[in-house]
Amino acid sequence: MVGEHSVMPVTVPRLDKAELPTLERFREVNATFPKTAEVLAHKRQGGKVFGWLCTYVPEEIIHAAGALPVRITGYSQETELEDGNAYLYINNCSFSRSCLQMGLRGEYDFLDGVVAGSTCDGARRLFDLWHYYIKTPFHHVLTVPRKYTEKAHALYYQQVVQFKQHLEEFLGIQITDDELRHSIEVYNESRALLRSLYELRKQDTPPITGAETMEVLDASFRMPKELFNQWLNDLLDELEAQDRAHKARARLMVVGSVMNNPEFIRSIEAQGGLVVTDELCTSTRYWSDPVVLDGDKSPLEAISRRYLNNFPCARMVPSDGRFGRILELARDYRVDGVVSQIIRYCVTYAHDLPLLRDKLKAQGIPMLALDVEYGTSGSGQIQTRVQAFLEMLEARKKG
Amino acid sequence: MTTSEKPGGKISAIVRACRLISRMNQANPEVPKSDALYYQMLANYYTRLLNAREEGKFIAAHTVFFPSEILYAMDIVPMHTETTTWMMALFLGEQAEILAAGAELGLAPEICSPHRGLAGAFALGALPRPDVMLWSNLICDNTAKSGELIMELNDCPGFFLDHPFQRSEAEEKYLISELEDMISFLEEKSGQKMDWDKLSEIVAGMDRQMELFREIGELRKAVPSPFHIRGFLQLLTTDYLCPGQPEATEYLQALRDELAEMVRQGKGAVSPERFRLMTLFVPPMYLMGFLEKMSQEYGAVSVVEPLFTRWAEGRLDPSKPLASVAKKASLIPERRSMYGPLGEEALKDITTCAEQYRVDGAVYWAFMGCRHTCATIRLFKDILNEIDVPMLVIDCDIVDPTINPQEEIREKLEQFFELLEDR
Ligand code: SF4
Ligand code: SF4
Repeated sequence: MVGEHSVMPVTVPRLDKAELPTLERFREVNATFPKTAEVLAHKRQGGKVFGWLCTYVPEEIIHAAGALPVRITGYSQETELEDGNAYLYINNCSFSRSCLQMGLRGEYDFLDGVVAGSTCDGARRLFDLWHYYIKTPFHHVLTVPRKYTEKAHALYYQQVVQFKQHLEEFLGIQITDDELRHSIEVYNESRALLRSLYELRKQDTPPITGAETMEVLDASFRMPKELFNQWLNDLLDELEAQDRAHKARARLMVVGSVMNNPEFIRSIEAQGGLVVTDELCTSTRYWSDPVVLDGDKSPLEAISRRYLNNFPCARMVPSDGRFGRILELARDYRVDGVVSQIIRYCVTYAHDLPLLRDKLKAQGIPMLALDVEYGTSGSGQIQTRVQAFLEMLEARKKG
Repeated sequence: MTTSEKPGGKISAIVRACRLISRMNQANPEVPKSDALYYQMLANYYTRLLNAREEGKFIAAHTVFFPSEILYAMDIVPMHTETTTWMMALFLGEQAEILAAGAELGLAPEICSPHRGLAGAFALGALPRPDVMLWSNLICDNTAKSGELIMELNDCPGFFLDHPFQRSEAEEKYLISELEDMISFLEEKSGQKMDWDKLSEIVAGMDRQMELFREIGELRKAVPSPFHIRGFLQLLTTDYLCPGQPEATEYLQALRDELAEMVRQGKGAVSPERFRLMTLFVPPMYLMGFLEKMSQEYGAVSVVEPLFTRWAEGRLDPSKPLASVAKKASLIPERRSMYGPLGEEALKDITTCAEQYRVDGAVYWAFMGCRHTCATIRLFKDILNEIDVPMLVIDCDIVDPTINPQEEIREKLEQFFELLEDR
């Protein structure tokens, strides 16, 4: 074990404001979330805002209804969760407790609706209690099958149709195919832009850090997509115009539970490891697969297929789908090691851990498994373990 | 991980313990006949499992709430995974060893202990190796995620049965198609055919058992209530292990008759009956003897367990066996508040139970590995509070005694009884 004294000095500083002005704008969105200027402006114009709870909720449908979808997340740093603990008990993941606490404290009081999927115990109970205690006017939960069979697709499609109908009834509107097609375009553009951003991370010395990327990702589900796309285009231009190059002691990939605190990644990068890719429901699992509109498929069918077939969460069976995608990312981004961060009581990911470790080991990729709380910024103990992991990776490289 | 035991070592110890208890019960005229029948049923279940290999039988391990009616109809020997861990804790007290083995596999302590223990027991080679693993998402993420590691540890194939979350016609159809796929899988792997007539018979047996469960529930409304605390676990395991089996019907009938007779005579499980309790979730298995004693000592009797022993209204139709197996999944007591969106129906059921059973207080056994049930603690407390029924919460683990020592539990219960007394 390596002592605290050997922690390397910060090698990836927070950037200078003038360097990437667009990143500053994304930061502003994150700093003011949930009541961001964009959300408030949308409400002022009489627009509806719907919170969604899981990547299996098809956002395009909310968007096509003319409403603003925002992702419900918790506090972006570790916080005392008195209310969350009291209502969800201490053995539900701190993500769901954190979200519930924000809801109970009125921080999401602007929401017109909440939409969830039957994805995991933590999320479904969060939805139950939200419904009972917070009483947002519209609430809907989709049954999300855990398989990819044609029958599972048929069931999920039926759920997507029902969700659309329920939303139409609530809003007193009809969502047309053309509106859905337009929303698919907007969302696919966003996905393509994020892919371009990730492509930059494949470079030997990427121009953007993992922590900065997380800041962009966080903003992606907290603001109108059209505006996000515009800003991300600007950011890509700024990155191209700059001469940024991040060297690393090791190229890392972060996998596991939901996470949206860039400080956690910054704490890893401060020690010289560069996070070049990630497998999180707030990162690649959120954006990497587009909706494919082809020939005879209706836009709703295309949406439904994409969401069930999307980069799998640990809830899906068999887990090989998820493991295969992780290995693919590890290869494409040439990672030296994987950091698994699993929120305590996030058992879907915890069950996968021994199997994932074996799969990575078979490919010669070491893994550091960290138990964390949602919102962690990387405590001293985590830093020590990361440091030891980086040293081990360096020693391996030297051979 | 080293293989320390001969396969089935733990199972033969369970069989020995059950046989012994059953024989002792038979010899003791004070012990009701149903008790002996119950232990005989357990002994038979585990004997079938123990001898399966030698008899060339096909073994299917499966998670809780799995339709093992199908396995019985195909002459496949079932191995109920969670219950087997409970039994190891209850009869052998060997939870420390198997939990340590689970930890060595890399399973986090937050994972439900019956699953950690089971994986550990397999890794130790202490259980017979199943030919297939069957698992499902009814009822939680632990059941949904436990199968693949068991498959790997036993190098066996498996089938995941995907239970839809809500109850629409489309979801019902999906579940039936999942059952059909599972039958095809089992036919292919075992080389045995589904016997549809036998399945119809088993469904008829299950329908009868559901009626008996409901009758037993009704009898427990009596003041004083005739049902003892250990009976709760017996009811649970009867359905978990032997659904639709004649020996389960025989046990339930005997129990129903005994309870009816006690009610007729105005006899209670405890005397005098001072506190009528609602039990939420399951008390630790290894504490059964201790709780039984406390129950007698304080005149406290569990009269209803809405999460586990209250079957929903509805009948099964033997002429539609597969649809009935699917329907049973929607009638099981656990389905109301443990799976599917938590609706008004589930909440209403808690307060209705409290009123109908004239409950003085509720005890919620907060099993730390069971996240989704603990998420209802506050909600149930609030709704019970509205009808002036206090609720005690006890943190525990259903198989691991290190989480909350017996003395602490005793203290909490005593304080709660005092509070009830003062009201
Ligand atoms: S996947 Fe894990 S972290 Fe996310 S809501 Fe479910 S239990 Fe919580
Ligand atoms: S005890 Fe809870 S977590 Fe464990 S299998 Fe049962 S329902 Fe799942």
